[in-house]
Amino acid sequence: MAFDPLSATVKIAASGLNVQSERLRIVSENLANAQSTGTEPGADPYQRKTISFASTLDRTLGASFAEVDSIQKDSSDFPLEYMPGHEAANADGFVKMPNVNPIIEMADMTEANRSYEANLQVIKQARELISMTIDLMRQS
Amino acid sequence: MEPVSLFDLAAQQARWLSVRQSAVAGNIANVNTPDYKAVDAKPFEHVLESSRLAIAPTHPDHIPIGTAPGAVDVREDADAVVSESGNSVSLEQEMVKAGELRRAFEMNTAIVKAFHRMMLMTTRT
Amino acid sequence: MITAVSPFGKTGLSPAVAELDRPAAPVSPAASATSFSEALSGAATQAVATLDRAEALSLQALQGGGVETREVVDAVMSAEQSLQAAIAIRDKIVTAYLEISRMTI
Repeated sequence: MAFDPLSATVKIAASGLNVQSERLRIVSENLANAQSTGTEPGADPYQRKTISFASTLDRTLGASFAEVDSIQKDSSDFPLEYMPGHEAANADGFVKMPNVNPIIEMADMTEANRSYEANLQVIKQARELISMTIDLMRQS
Repeated sequence: MEPVSLFDLAAQQARWLSVRQSAVAGNIANVNTPDYKAVDAKPFEHVLESSRLAIAPTHPDHIPIGTAPGAVDVREDADAVVSESGNSVSLEQEMVKAGELRRAFEMNTAIVKAFHRMMLMTTRT
Repeated sequence: MITAVSPFGKTGLSPAVAELDRPAAPVSPAASATSFSEALSGAATQAVATLDRAEALSLQALQGGGVETREVVDAVMSAEQSLQAAIAIRDKIVTAYLEISRMTI
C-alpha cells in the first residue's frame, strides 16, 4: 500500500474548503447584486446564481473528494416593483428586480460558513495526528 | 487466541484510525453534495478477524483498502438518515466520530511511546 | 478477541527482566548477599507483575474495549517505575560485584 490516509485526509478536507468557498463567493455575489436592475426600459436585472456540488470517489481510500459540479442561473421569475421614472421601468412603470431573496442568501451563507469551519477542523486534526506520529521518534 | 505483539496491534489500530479519519473527512467535505451517502470504516474487530483468517472475501459493494489481509473496508452507512437532497451526512455525528478518533489516536501513540521507552530502558546499562 | 497475553514476552521485555535475576548468583559474600538477591528478585517479580498488567490493559485499550483511560495510564506508569527500580538495583549489584571481584584476596 503506497498511500498515507492522513495526508489524503488533508487533501479531502481541502476540497471541502474549496467548494464551500466557491459557494460563499456565489452567495456574496447574489447579495451584492440584490438590487441591481437593468439599465434599459424593460431590461432584465441581475439573475440569481446557484451552485451545485458533486463527489469523486477515491477508490484506494473509499472516501470521496468534493468538487463544484456547476454554477447555474436561477430561472425563477423576476419580481416586479412599481417605480415609474426608473430607467428600467417598462411601459406600465414596473421594474424587474433581481430574483434574490437576502434572507435565503444569508441562511445559505451561515450554512456554508458552518461547513467551512467543519472542514477546517478536519485539517487541523489530521495535521495534529501526523505530528503525534512523528513525535514518537522524538527523545523522551 | 494467540498472543499478539503490542506494537503490531498498535500499528494496526493506528492504520485503521487513519483510514476512518479519511472517511470522516470525505463525509464532511461532501456534507452539501446531493445524493452523497455517508461512509464509515468497518469496526476494528473485523479488521483483526480478517487478518487472522488471512482470506478477505470480497463483495461488489465493498471498497477494501489495500489488498493485504486485514484490509480496512469503508462502505456506506446504511443507518444514516437521508435528507430530501439525497444526502445522508450528519455533521454532528461526523464531529463526534472525529473526537473519538482523536482520543483513540492519542492513547495509541502514548502507549507505543511508553513501551518503547521501557524497551530502551532495559537495553541500556 | 485477543484475551491471552504472554508475560510481556512479545514486547521483548521479558528476557531483559529475567536477566536481572542472574547477577544475584555470583554475588554471595556474607549475610548481606541474601538481602541483595531478595531485593533484586523482589524488584524483578514486581516489575514482571506490573508489566503484565500494563500490557494487558494496553492491549485492551488498543482494541477499543472500554477500559478506563486513567487505569491504563496508571498501570503503564507503575510498570515504568518498577522497571526503573529493578534496573537500578541490578546496576548497583553489578557494580558491587565488579568491585568485589577486583579486590585482591
